[in-house]
Amino acid sequence: MSTPLRSVEDLETIVDADSHVAESVDDIVEYIDGDRFSGSLEILSHSTNPVMDVYSNSLPTPGFVDRGYEIDDVHAKFDQLEEFGITHALIGPTTNLNIASVDNPQLALALANGYNSWVLEEFIERHDRLYGHVLVPHHKPDRAVEEIERLADRPSIRGIYLPGTGTVPPLGDERYDPIYEAASEHDMPVVVHASIGASHTMFPTQTMWNETYAEEHVITHPFTHMWNLTTMLLRGVPERFPDVTFVFQEAGVGWIPYLLWRLDDHYLQFADELPYLEKLPSEYVRDQFYFTTQPLGHTAHNGRHLAWAIEMAGPESIMYSSDLPHTDFDPPEELFDRIRPAFDDDVVAGIMGETAAEVFDLE
Amino acid sequence: MTTRHRVANVDEFTDDPDRVIREVDGLEVGVFFVDGEYYALANYCVHQGAPLCEGRVTGEMDVDENWEWEYDHDPCVVTCPWHEWKFDLETGVNVSDDRYVTPTFETAVEDDTVYVLR
Ligand code: FES
Repeated sequence: MSTPLRSVEDLETIVDADSHVAESVDDIVEYIDGDRFSGSLEILSHSTNPVMDVYSNSLPTPGFVDRGYEIDDVHAKFDQLEEFGITHALIGPTTNLNIASVDNPQLALALANGYNSWVLEEFIERHDRLYGHVLVPHHKPDRAVEEIERLADRPSIRGIYLPGTGTVPPLGDERYDPIYEAASEHDMPVVVHASIGASHTMFPTQTMWNETYAEEHVITHPFTHMWNLTTMLLRGVPERFPDVTFVFQEAGVGWIPYLLWRLDDHYLQFADELPYLEKLPSEYVRDQFYFTTQPLGHTAHNGRHLAWAIEMAGPESIMYSSDLPHTDFDPPEELFDRIRPAFDDDVVAGIMGETAAEVFDLE
Repeated sequence: MTTRHRVANVDEFTDDPDRVIREVDGLEVGVFFVDGEYYALANYCVHQGAPLCEGRVTGEMDVDENWEWEYDHDPCVVTCPWHEWKFDLETGVNVSDDRYVTPTFETAVEDDTVYVLR
């Protein structure tokens, strides 16, 4: 780093490691492979309310006031990122964050197929600093691998995107090994994203007992990651796949140190149950796991507290994300201003973008 | 320089495994008799200071080629009575994290007397 970092403008690279498009079902249906998924296309054509009768989503209340995201094409998407000084972005879906709760595995696969082709052709292959992932439903891991094989060689594809919420059994289950195997073969990170809509009948939260969107939203994201991360670590996924890196998105950072303390403590106490591991769970996290920062939460009372949380979680594992265009997004300054006084410039530059550039092999 | 300290007579070990806990030169030491061998460890858990050698002596869990549990019944581990950390009887090394090590001592048997070298 040549010039000392004074403001966010001094950063050469700001990577949004968890950015979104806002696809409709109509958008992606046109991109579903008609030969392979003719039956699913026929069924989808009868849907009058896909949020319910395809995705099986429900929420306690409508929640966010504004969902008119107005990023209908790649230019609008990149303009919005540029407005916040973001130089590169890793793109994920919105509607298809909830692909885990699609009850029918054929429909889930068809929707992933359509979303992947749509986002490639309409967004990420139209801009040299937008990248994406192969979205795969968890229902049938072997079929998920076929979708990975279809797209892994496309240069804009930089990861394998697995739903986190509504994913039962959780991601430590050995049925997902073929997906991790594919990640290892293609040298791509596995990206796990939490989402609120998919949780209504499944752990970690259940709509019937949450009375507001706010309650459900507070709980769903960190609980989702805690369950998946715990099962992956304690069942030895990173031990079996030592070349694979894992990126957990959209639960902030405050929950990480708490969980790591707890995992290490349980690992030391329950050695008989956990012979799979060769080192502390927190050491696997240090070596193979990453977390994106949004939503930081309300950290304005004392900005140092956020820096301490990042210090405890491990600054090398932390990557800035905006979540744009969703209305709980974090601009880069919100993170930068809190971490700049606490860390060396190269650590700050790492968190703001250099680490993501390395993990996702960005130009 | 190590000195030989008498800790017990062999007939004080009536079971297999069995143990005695004795003070040796100002330090409490647990002497374990397992399958014809004697092992000596400090009676002090490096986690929070529990009397480690009062814990259960057990076999050890491993993982087989199918990534399933495989239990070795040969007694080789002592489990701390406080928070269940497990230490190898022979090396004193924690089975989960080898940065935690209980001091161990050599033993000797002569004329039916068990000694700890310290
Ligand atoms: S004192 Fe021995 S495990 Fe805690």
